[in-house]
Amino acid sequence: MKIELSIPSPALLPAGFRDVLPPEAEAEAALVEGLMQVFGSHGYERVAPPMLEFEESLLAGAGAAIAEQMFRLMDSDTHRMMGLRADITPQIGRIATSRLVHVARPLRLSYAGLCLRTRAVAPELARQVAQAGVELIGPDLPEADAEIVLVAAEALRGAQVPGLSFDLTMPALVPAMLDEAGIVGVARQALLHGLDRKDVADVAEYGGVLAGVLTDLLLAAGDADQAIAALARVDFSPEAARLAQRLTDSARAVQARDPGLKLTVDPVEFRGFRYHTGVSVTAYAVGSAEELGRGGRYLSGPNAEPATGITLFPEAVARVAPRGARKPRLFVPLGIAGAPALRVAGFATVAQLAAADDLEAEARRLLCSHILRNGVAVALPVLQTENK
Amino acid sequence: MTEKKLILALPKGRILEECGPVLAAAGIVPAPDYLKDSSRRLRFPTNHPELDVVRVRPFDVATFVAFGAAEIGICGADVLMEFDYSEIYAPLDLGIGICRVSVAEPVGMAGTDDAARWSQVRVASKYPNIARRHFAARGVQAEIVHLNGAMELAPGLGLSRVIVDLVETGSTLKANGLMETEVIAHVSSRLIVNRTALKTKPEQIGAWIAKFREAVAQR
Repeated sequence: MKIELSIPSPALLPAGFRDVLPPEAEAEAALVEGLMQVFGSHGYERVAPPMLEFEESLLAGAGAAIAEQMFRLMDSDTHRMMGLRADITPQIGRIATSRLVHVARPLRLSYAGLCLRTRAVAPELARQVAQAGVELIGPDLPEADAEIVLVAAEALRGAQVPGLSFDLTMPALVPAMLDEAGIVGVARQALLHGLDRKDVADVAEYGGVLAGVLTDLLLAAGDADQAIAALARVDFSPEAARLAQRLTDSARAVQARDPGLKLTVDPVEFRGFRYHTGVSVTAYAVGSAEELGRGGRYLSGPNAEPATGITLFPEAVARVAPRGARKPRLFVPLGIAGAPALRVAGFATVAQLAAADDLEAEARRLLCSHILRNGVAVALPVLQTENK
Repeated sequence: MTEKKLILALPKGRILEECGPVLAAAGIVPAPDYLKDSSRRLRFPTNHPELDVVRVRPFDVATFVAFGAAEIGICGADVLMEFDYSEIYAPLDLGIGICRVSVAEPVGMAGTDDAARWSQVRVASKYPNIARRHFAARGVQAEIVHLNGAMELAPGLGLSRVIVDLVETGSTLKANGLMETEVIAHVSSRLIVNRTALKTKPEQIGAWIAKFREAVAQR
């Protein structure tokens, strides 16, 4: 038995971190820019908050839900605790309600950046996650809920994600039903856990007077029309009825604007970034176990201004989207002045730095597909490789 | 990618035979050697061309389903309690594999000291999380000795004060001089599904859940 006693390789990274290499790094960057372009084309203006903030401001309001996921460090100047952002949405909320408080509503903002998490959560198992998203601060309307779904759908379609599917939920519905039924304490915790895991046996055991209704709603999750029909059959108390109606209205608003989009509705799901208070959404690609994005309605800033938004996860998107073609690489032999026109035409030029006997072999060694001859890019003939 | 076969993960061992009638009632007939331990195969076709069965360790059923490697699975509530994967939905109690997760200790020691005075206790178990949570709720720090089998030996050989294990009839405990002192949870097998699979293929996965539900109702 051999146990590695020496110090680990310097290439070893902490769990949950990775180096992104060519060509993935370029593909990911291009993907993010593609998403951001779609966001921008819908009037969402880009903002860029810093990686690091004072702990209190990151954790204020919507941010409190991610406190346990946040890396902290101390500012050696002020001795105040700072946090590395674990999610960008609360930062956008802070900007919207402070520096941009006087800008006309609805306020449309977009962002892209990296976040750090203290714990890697399955199935992604990454502690550094890229986010790219939009926030729509202002009107609390089904039309606003629909807009963020449709903008995200357009961005993901632009990235050619196959089998796109969106799931709409109303995280406040179940807590409202439990409040009105007076289910509290340990029974409430057990019931919420059972609902979260869609454990019909637990829901029947702890559901009390709501067991029947909750089981029906649990089983109705799925196709939007079927779930909406199931919601319509339930005799809700006033507050729950209002929330159920809003979920229905928002789903209908999405369907009316994009009838071809695959939409599911899950009335009893209440999972999210945990600060979501209204209609929430998760983006999936059929056949992939990862979420491509997540968002929903929340209250932003100290005055609890209504807001909604969606965050896409570019790394997850990159794993399901086809990767765009790489730029052809053009070998520029020594002594030839670059080829700006060819760069404009889409080539990546690779300048020769030291003389070599066989230019073609040298071009191949540097992974070039073309070689510059007499001012013209000539494709290198494909070699007959022996695949044995 | 969307045409990928659905995978149903079944647990090897204790529960596998009990699964047979449920599968049959749900209209699933795997290749006959899926029950044979001698079979080297791990993946078996069924009478449904779009559904394959895989046979893995009970703890691994949950892992396969949580990561989406299998869309559907059958696994004990003990495994779900231990891992508490948020990516797993457990929409149906199959009513098979009935047993319990319990605390047991040597017959001679039970009742000899007041457990309320403990601040820590050494526990042998293959359920470290369940054991830790159970004792933490009582204010006791559980020092876990993680074993994969033959837990019943541990107290007698001085490895631990108590054990936390699956108990079906209690005969193994008795044969090893142990007695059950506390039931942590009653356990049965659940039909489990991957969360994303249910969200993105609600018709297909929902149809299988419905078939299993009918199968359980028939029993």
